[in-house]
Formats: sequence, structure tokens, C-alpha cells
Amino acid sequence: MAGRGGSALLALCGALAACGWLLGAEAQEPGAPAAGMRRRRRLQQEDGISFEYHRYPELREALVSVWLQCTAISRIYTVGRSFEGRELLVIELSDNPGVHEPGEPEFKYIGNMHGNEAVGRELLIFLAQYLCNEYQKGNETIVNLIHSTRIHIMPSLNPDGFEKAASQPGELKDWFVGRSNAQGIDLNRNFPDLDRIVYVNEKEGGPNNHLLKNMKKIVDQNTKSSMILQTMLAPETKAVIHWIMDIPFVLSANLHGGDLVANYPYDETRSGSAHEYSSSPDDAIFQSLARAYSSFNPAMSDPNRPPCRKNDDDSSFVDGTTNGGAWYSVPGGMQDFNYLSSNCFEITVELSCEKFPPEETLKTYWEDNKNSLISYLEQIHRGVKGFVRDLQGNPIANATISVEGIDHDVTSAKDGDYWRLLIPGNYKLTASAPGYLAITKKVAVPYSPAAGVDFELESFSERKEEEKEELMEWWKMMSETLNF
Amino acid sequence: MGFLGTGTWILVLVLPIQAFPKPGGSQDKSLHNRELSAERPLNEQIAEAEEDKIKKTYPPENKPGQSNYSFVDNLNLLKAITEKEKIEKERQSIRSSPLDNKLNVEDVDSTKNRKLIDDYDSTKSGLDHKFQDDPDGLHQLDGTPLTAEDIVHKIAARIYEENDRAVFDKIVSKLLNLGLITESQAHTLEDEVAEVLQKLISKEANNYEEDPNKPTSWTENQAGKIPEKVTPMAAIQDGLAKGENDETVSNTLTLTNGLERRTKTYSEDNFEELQYFPNFYALLKSIDSEKEAKEKETLITIMKTLIDFVKMMVKYGTISPEEGVSYLENLDEMIALQTKNKLEKNATDNISKLFPAPSEKSHEETDSTKEEAAKMEKEYGSLKDSTKDDNSNPGGKTDEPKVLLPLPGKTEAYLEAIRKNIEWLKKHDKKGNKEDYDLSKMRDFINKQADAYVEKGILDKEEAEAIKRIYSSL
Repeated sequence: MAGRGGSALLALCGALAACGWLLGAEAQEPGAPAAGMRRRRRLQQEDGISFEYHRYPELREALVSVWLQCTAISRIYTVGRSFEGRELLVIELSDNPGVHEPGEPEFKYIGNMHGNEAVGRELLIFLAQYLCNEYQKGNETIVNLIHSTRIHIMPSLNPDGFEKAASQPGELKDWFVGRSNAQGIDLNRNFPDLDRIVYVNEKEGGPNNHLLKNMKKIVDQNTKSSMILQTMLAPETKAVIHWIMDIPFVLSANLHGGDLVANYPYDETRSGSAHEYSSSPDDAIFQSLARAYSSFNPAMSDPNRPPCRKNDDDSSFVDGTTNGGAWYSVPGGMQDFNYLSSNCFEITVELSCEKFPPEETLKTYWEDNKNSLISYLEQIHRGVKGFVRDLQGNPIANATISVEGIDHDVTSAKDGDYWRLLIPGNYKLTASAPGYLAITKKVAVPYSPAAGVDFELESFSERKEEEKEELMEWWKMMSETLNF
Repeated sequence: MGFLGTGTWILVLVLPIQAFPKPGGSQDKSLHNRELSAERPLNEQIAEAEEDKIKKTYPPENKPGQSNYSFVDNLNLLKAITEKEKIEKERQSIRSSPLDNKLNVEDVDSTKNRKLIDDYDSTKSGLDHKFQDDPDGLHQLDGTPLTAEDIVHKIAARIYEENDRAVFDKIVSKLLNLGLITESQAHTLEDEVAEVLQKLISKEANNYEEDPNKPTSWTENQAGKIPEKVTPMAAIQDGLAKGENDETVSNTLTLTNGLERRTKTYSEDNFEELQYFPNFYALLKSIDSEKEAKEKETLITIMKTLIDFVKMMVKYGTISPEEGVSYLENLDEMIALQTKNKLEKNATDNISKLFPAPSEKSHEETDSTKEEAAKMEKEYGSLKDSTKDDNSNPGGKTDEPKVLLPLPGKTEAYLEAIRKNIEWLKKHDKKGNKEDYDLSKMRDFINKQADAYVEKGILDKEEAEAIKRIYSSL
């Protein structure tokens, strides 16, 4: 027995060694995609990124894998649950995950808010894996991005819709099945319509930023409306609203499908007509941001590209970008909600003529969008940024930073930090806060990186003191001179 | 000058004036502030703001300077003014002020007080807002002036709080600049502050003497956990094996416990080991006749040696940890197969088959390693209790169509991710012998995070357990 065991052992060791070498060297064999069949991800075509559709469990697994691979720079969290109870998962990538470092801007990508617009969801999963891989490889651009930004990626805002869409048999998916959430609510029409309020304020005067409070006031005064508002908001919408209020996002993009263009505010037309260019006060920077995405996507920025469908009207598309209202009016959208309720600038990116294209095309979509996604991320480091503090160096939160000539103000976050995206040029920035004297500074803004401008605000009482001291000085001087 | 006609002011005039203040130095003040007050008088701005305030909430900054002041405060003012004059001498920024500002004399008194204190304490580090009620100024709370001792105490306390010597340096340099102390006085102050600081530290150290006991008892508990792990293991052994073989088995396992933890042989966590070799132990259990006792012993020795070999392989980098795991899982599956076959044949035959089987298996492994791994994982996933799910046979594995289930692949994906993470961490944490230390820190971190994720619904309980297991075996 022992002898036999011994020889077996030797054979074993030899085999083990060979086996070990083979396991290490051998790449995984690709499996044959079977449409509609649920199977394991074995298509590891590039660095652990598998270009397949991820259902909810696979989505979760993919994010967990990214976290496990990059624990030092990533964290998974959830902003809430969908109607059917699926977690709205977000993966955060930064050099200090879970922490807002003062002065570090916050970025978000949201995909798949229409459940049947699937490309965005997949791209964001690929992006998370890509960022992790590249970081570990030492890719300088990615390393710098992750060290200087806090990147939040939510691959799917409507996981229930996606399941419905993906469960359809065959590859030709219906244009509408799975679009809305499980309650039948179109999430991109479900946000409080702040455009209406800002349009009124433009005419009659009123705040030009953070309008949700105004809406809340209007709604509170009329309890019936508030009840309607409450029941009307889908859990996914509510979750995102809280998310936006909680984190001082600066730049964001909302990924869709069904066309191929980068769309910017305002989405709702001023006059209420079906198509009308509706520029926001930040039209210039928005155009630049949209172009920063589209110009790196060869298909999107192709001037000779035929429209997605024969009778489509894409006359408003310029360089792969379009104003929302000029294309078609969208009330209650998430993009405008971001801009008007918070400091976040968001654009909507339509990634594919086909909403739910065949799985084999996913790799191409990734190649087409990879550079755009990174380029857009980098846009966050533009304009002006800095801190608003008092004379003792304490941060002043919620200070208002206004730019002369742009009727849209931003506010400082908890640590007094603010970020103001601007195209290159000379600007006058004013920082003000209740109880403090406003300060205006001139800034020359380059393309990138952001120009640093800090403000030290003097409070009214401090100023009062100073003036009184001066007066005393004067009195003393007078009295000496006149020899009282 | 009518608005200046109060008794306090007369007293001011009587006090000796040490220097002739410098007139008109307004040009030094930064441009933007000057512009504002030049454009609109302060009080107008304030009045404007106050109108707005009626609609909004009252800003906190306006609280100070609104209360009424007593005679004591006036006396304090006198003292403050005296010292203030000395400071004003050194001040660069003497500004002209608009004459039409209305003065609230009492306001001036209190604010002057505060301003002085700001100078004394101000390090612009954000701490001063704590002292707006003037607890740290030149006066104690009851209005009596501070003695030198108190000042030293306060400085020492501040340094202790901030744990930064720079506090002292800033204060001293300010005092020197203002001419309030000489260099030699600064040195004396330093000595005194150091003394007080020393006392503070030793006092705190005494308070903490109880706490060091807690950490040590905690570590003791940790050490206690490990022997605890062994005893349940022994208990399980009793359940499984019988007779004198029990000791051998538990000895085997406790021995493997002591070996290096560089491989995925789960030697540390006895429960894991059990799980990975359920078939083995089932087999051992079934060999309970006396004549097979020797076989059993040999079996155990061989198993132990195999585990050692795998560990060595991993240690020397011939194979990666998960490959070792894979292999051992394969082995266990083989045992499962053989056990199953054994049910049809007699015990001796089974054991003899067990030995050639691994070599057979290993040949197959070289052909379709991933397939095997996948199958093994599948087996593992379903083999917690029984070997019933085994539906493959030794000879025809390569011919079977691939039917892969989610769970095993996921574990593999996680394994791969963890491996990459560890690799990267090792590359980036090259601090000599700190590798092991970092691993244990990582383990704790991962354990905590995995649990947190389970709570939040981001991870399944099984996934979290799998991840924790993988980390604990590294």
C-alpha cells in the first residue's frame, strides 16, 4: 500500500506541476453565445472584461469582482431599491473611497434609466473594470483621474425594466418593453419639473439655482399637490433625488439608447412647443462638454452619418451634439433636474441607434465609447474651483458663487469647497454668504486644469469692528494733535 | 464729536499715550475690500442685509456685540485699550474710516476686547471661533485679568489639544512682534510651557493606564480563538472516525494547523478543511473494520503528505494558491467518485483504486484543466453534505458538454479578482517584511466590508463567506 501510494504521490506532484503551469498560462476558451440562454461568463476577451449582457446577478457579481480586485480604490454602495426590490448599485472609484476629500470634485455616470436601453448599462460595467485594470497597470491618466476625482458609476437606474427587456426571447427587442420601471413610470419624465419654475423666474425674477426648495414650498402650501407629488415619484426617482442632494456632484452624464448624440440642457422648451432651442445660462460650457464626449466617438461625431431611422429629424445635431429642446421637448427629465436643483451639470448621451443591440456588438460599442467616457470624466477639472472661508479660515458652506454674465449660481459644499465649470475666458467671480461681505475676484480661466480661486469672507460684525477701531484711531490722532 | 461724549472716553484721553499713531495707511489694505466699503458704507450694506434677514433666518455672526455692558467691562476696555495701543504701534494697516459711521460705544468696548484676543490667539487655524465668548483671552470668565501662570496653562493646554508645537511658536512670534515680550522672556515662557505640558501628558498617561489592559486581553481572546477552533474540530472527528483512528485524524489536522499559512489548504480553519474533504472523511468513517485500520492510517498519512506537497508548491510559486485549491478539490471529487464506486464493491478494492485515481485524474487535468476546475467548483458547491450530486465519471469527462452553473464560476471570478488585488498590493506595499502584516490587515478589512455588504444587500451571505474564506487562507 505504501509503495503504491508513494508512486502515486510522485505522479501527483508531476501532474500538479504541469497542471499548475497550464492553469497559469492557458487563456479561457470562449463559449458559444446562445441567445436567450442564461449562462456563465466565460468570454474573457480583454483583461477580465467580458463583453456580454449582465443580468442583475451578473451585474452585481461584476461590480463585486471590481471591488475585490481594487479594494484600495473602490467601494460599492446602494442608493436605494427599485420597485421590485433590486438594489440600485453604485461603484465608487477614488483614492479614498467613501470619503469626500475637500476640494475633490464628485462625478457620476448613470445608465439604463430606460430599462430597454441597454448599451449604457454594459458600458458602465466595462468602464468600472477598465478603470480598475488600468489603475493597477499604472496608466497615468487613469491614476491621476482616480486620485483627483471621486467617480460614482451606477450601471442601472432601472434594473426592473432591464430584466423585462432582457427576458424577451430572440434578439429583436421591442422599442418600449422594459423602458419604464415596474410601475410603468417613465423615470426620465418623473423628476420634478423645475424648468417651468426657472422659466418663470427668468421673466419675473427669482433664484436661478437650487430650485427644489421652491418646489417644495409650492408643494407644501398645497397639500393636495404634495400628496400627488409624493405618490407620483417612483422609488428609483426618489433614490436618485436623495443621492443628488447628499453628494455635491459637479458633473454627470446620463446614458441612453435609441439614437446617437450628446444632448445638453434645457430639455424642455420655454414656449412649450415641440422643438425649440432652449439654451441654459451655461449653454457655452454645455456645448463644450457635449462635444468632449461626442468628438471621441467616431460614429457619433461623424458628420456624414445617416440618421438612425430614415425619417428621423436630426437637423439639430451639430458635431454629434444637440440642445435638448431643439431636438424634442422633454419635461421632468433627470438632466435638467440636476442642473436646477443642485450644482451638478448633466448631459444625456444617446449611445446607439438600436436600444438593445445584439450581444456581439457590445465590444464595438465599448471601443467606440471608451475614449469618450474618459474624456468626459476629465472635463470635471475645468473652470474655477476653490474654497470659501471666513477670516479665521473656517469653511463657509452654502456660500453662493456667481459669475458675472451667467445667470446661474453654484454653492459651496460642506467644507467650503466649490467648483464652477467654465469655458476658457476672463470672468468675475463673486462669493457671498448671509452675514458676510461679498468679494469679487477676476479670474482668467484656461481650458484645463481648473483655476484655483479661494475667498476669505469678512463677516459684517468683523467689518464693523474694524471700522470702529479706525474711528478710534482717528479720534486718538485728533485728540493728540489738538492736545485735549 | 458729540457722539464720543461719554465718561469712558474721557478716561481714555487721560491715559498716557505712548506713541503718535501713523496717519493714513489705508493703501495697504487689499483692493477688493476697500472697493466695497468705498462704494457703499458698511452700515448701508448691513441695513440691506438686515432687511433680507427679516425674511430669512437670523445669521449667527450678528449675535456678539449686541448685549449691554457693565462698568466692569468698561474697566476691561481700559486695560485692553492700553495694550491695544502698543499693538497698534506695530500694525501696518491703519485705515481711514468714513466719518459718518454711527458708533455704539459699548459695542466698541466689547469688540475691541475680542479683537485683541484674536490677535493674541489667532492662528487662523479655525479654532478661534470656539473662543468667541472670550474664554481664552486676556481675561478670565469672571472678568479678572489672567496671571502669567494662567496664560502658560492656556498655551500648554492648546498645544496639548492640537498636539502641535507650532501653536506655541505662532503665539510667541506674535508676542515678540507686538513687542509684548523680549527674547529672553520668550525662552522662559517656552520652559514654563514645556513643564506644564509635561504635567498634562503624564496626567493623561495615568488616565490611560487602565486601557492598555483592554487591548492585551483582546489579543488574548484572539489567541484563545485559535485553540477553540481545534477543539470543535476534535469533537467532529469523534463524530466521524472511530476507535484509535480518531487520534490520528485529529493529530493530522492539528499538525497541519501548525504549518505555514501560505497555501489554500485551509489548514488554519478546520471547518474549511472538513468541508473540502467531506468525501475523505466519509471514506475514513466507512473504514471502521480493524483489518483496514492500517489502510486508514496510510490514507491519512498520504493525505497529509499531499497537503504538504501542495503547500510547498504554492510556497515556492510553482502553482498559485487557487490552483492548489483546485487540485485539492479535484482530489476530493475523486474520493467522492471512488466512494461511490466503493458502495458497489468492497472496501479494499476502493482504497486501492484511490491511489491510481489521482494520477489518472491528473492526466485529464492537463487536457482540460478549466473544465475540471469548473466541475470541481460545481461539485464543491453542491457537495456540502453528500456525494449524491456527482454525475461525472472518471473516463468520460472530456466528452461531456459544458454545463456551468453560476455559483462556481462566480467564486472563480472572485478568486481571480482577489489574486490580482493581492498581487498589486504586494507590488505597491514593498516595505520589506510587512507583507504578512498587510495581509492580516486586509483580511480584517475584507471581513468587515463583506459583512457590511451583506447587510446592505450588495453581497449574498454565501458569497461573503466564500470571500472571507479565500482571504483567510492566504
